[in-house]
Amino acid sequence: MTTLSAETLAAPRPLSDETPPHRSIAGAVVLAGIFMSVAWLLGLIAEQGTRLQLSFVLGGAFGYVLQRSRFCFLCMWRDYLDHGDPRGVVGILTALAVGAAGYTLIFGAWLPDPSGLRLPPTAHIGPVGPVLVVAGLAFGAGMAISGSCISAHLYRLAEGSPTAPFALIGAVFGFWLGFASWNTLYLASLSEAPVIWLPRHLGYGGTLVATIVLLGGLSAWLLRVGPFRPSGGVAQEEPHPLTAIFVARWPAWVGGLLVGVIGVAAYLRLSPLGVTAEIGSRARQAADAFGLLPDRLEGLDAFRGCATLVRDAILTPNGTFVLGLVLAAGVASAGAGAFKPAWPRLGQILRGLAGGTLLGWGAMLGLGCTVGTLLSGISAGAVSGWIFALAVIVGTTVSLRAARWFG
Amino acid sequence: MPVDRKETHMSVQFNLARWAAAFGLAFLAGLGTAFAQTGPLVSTDWLEKNLDNKTVRIVEVSVEPGLFERGHIPGAQNVVWHTDLVETVRRDIASPEKFQALARRLGVDKDTTVVLYGDNNNWFAAWGAWVFEIYGLRDNVKLLDGGRKKWDLEKRPLETTVAEVKPSAFTVAAPNKALRARLQDVLASVEKTSDAKILDIRSVDEFNGKVIAPPGIQELAIRAGHIPGSVNVPWGQTINQADGSLKPVEELRKLYANVGIDGSKPVITSCRIGERSSHSWFVLTRVLGYQAANYDGSWTEYGNVVGVPINNPAGLVWTGK
Repeated sequence: MTTLSAETLAAPRPLSDETPPHRSIAGAVVLAGIFMSVAWLLGLIAEQGTRLQLSFVLGGAFGYVLQRSRFCFLCMWRDYLDHGDPRGVVGILTALAVGAAGYTLIFGAWLPDPSGLRLPPTAHIGPVGPVLVVAGLAFGAGMAISGSCISAHLYRLAEGSPTAPFALIGAVFGFWLGFASWNTLYLASLSEAPVIWLPRHLGYGGTLVATIVLLGGLSAWLLRVGPFRPSGGVAQEEPHPLTAIFVARWPAWVGGLLVGVIGVAAYLRLSPLGVTAEIGSRARQAADAFGLLPDRLEGLDAFRGCATLVRDAILTPNGTFVLGLVLAAGVASAGAGAFKPAWPRLGQILRGLAGGTLLGWGAMLGLGCTVGTLLSGISAGAVSGWIFALAVIVGTTVSLRAARWFG
Repeated sequence: MPVDRKETHMSVQFNLARWAAAFGLAFLAGLGTAFAQTGPLVSTDWLEKNLDNKTVRIVEVSVEPGLFERGHIPGAQNVVWHTDLVETVRRDIASPEKFQALARRLGVDKDTTVVLYGDNNNWFAAWGAWVFEIYGLRDNVKLLDGGRKKWDLEKRPLETTVAEVKPSAFTVAAPNKALRARLQDVLASVEKTSDAKILDIRSVDEFNGKVIAPPGIQELAIRAGHIPGSVNVPWGQTINQADGSLKPVEELRKLYANVGIDGSKPVITSCRIGERSSHSWFVLTRVLGYQAANYDGSWTEYGNVVGVPINNPAGLVWTGK
């Protein structure tokens, strides 16, 4: 097995002087027009309009950045694992550092004293225990099998990926399996799992310093050992600024900076960044309608994270966030000439469905994915974010290695 | 003459003091028209003009977490109803000690004008007003008419920083038990040994026993229906849905008179867990001046008590097939 997805940093796309085809640029302009029209229409909705609109716009910013910097957790990890190229992973660490600093600023205003019994409102601080580890392992395996995590499947949907739609369908199945196994796992383990928030023990300053030192140390180590620079020292030609912005892949650290900033903005104004709340909620709604849902999901609604409340509204902020993400990723991919739809092959369908199921199951039990639990959790000083991250790395690595082994 | 001079001096001082006092009174009277707000409600307009008034303390009691933090009325303090205003282990309102600590933290004392507001048409802000009154804070405690909804609709300013307030030295009063109905008070009404009238403010479907709880909420009661002899006025009927403000007094009076509640007899307000009913309790006691007590046990207590009479017009059987 050579690759599970089409993108790697080690083989960068040629920074061509050529512009994308005109019809591709026209497509981007039309999509951008649709994006702006939807944003405007959402603002007209009474009461919730402002929130829905803002969520849509932030989703758009997130989707645009994800596509332009190919901010795919799996690809970044694989670039390091297979090619020793640490730039992608450093991009993720950058996002976490920006997020941690921004969250600390907000926490200080909202909950000046972290030592009490309260948690900062709506921050993704989840229960830590065996279920979280199993959820992370499953999510990591799902990433390896389906070719990316849920947020990356969403932006790849807008690149015409043949696997992404099946991975997202699989994720809905995975959520259903998650609901079916929830009560057993809740009573066996989750109900007693502690919710650990680092600032309560280390203070805001202590947590931020520890987080930055850890992230900085990891980055320094990764960059030191990475034999990724061309040794010849031949200066590459600078691309035209328009090409650099709209066509070439943005450096991962730029993507990381922007993802971190968008995460902080979303937390300040709406809720922590997350992409699975809506998918999970719609899955729960559908399961409920088909009578597949247990009568009661014990304790679920009391947990933080991308918890899956049953929705009755047609539009929710997280729904417009995901919609904005996909639409803006479409603008980005069309503008870069990266919209290349392909008919799915049987292997892609099966990998998408199987990997997606694991992604959904892991995201349901982990109360979020690489965005909601890992990124928003670590930004918030939640131990659950770190544990999930470690479990995802192990799950992905083992699956990738096993796939190669069995070839 | 030295003595005369002293007397003259004193009389000048006295006159000055009188003038100062008179001027001060006139000044306060002038301020009074701007600051004092008689009655149980304050308007959004009044509140915006009094944001810097040191004798006013604004307190938000909302249901949705994170709402206060992401923007609140400038200067407002935050109260979380399900941890600050109740006991978290046994089912009860906050103990006197807990309430005293809360009021001190908020910098509230007996002479502070407290303006409560919140989301959901002031639903939990009214619960706050009920708890405040039980512990002796009544006349200076007001609701912002229309709550967050009206403030937002009128595009008035919000802020995200939390103002620091100087803690007060508030001493809690003995709880006023007359404001709180217990099961025996309700049963006395059912058995007609008291003349209290029970006002059930739940939805019509809950009252009639078609459903045990509103959609999306666990039942928490084993039986459906309502307390015999109670009358039903859903709490939302007291509100102008457009902006969340209360309907005019005469309209409210008529609304309750239609079901036989006219202030001639004491009222017990009841709902599912006692929160929505505190809103109707506020309307009855503070706006209309009727005598009323809130039954915070409500249907989750009454509908679970063994052997008490129940009216269940819809005939829904719990978990029945």
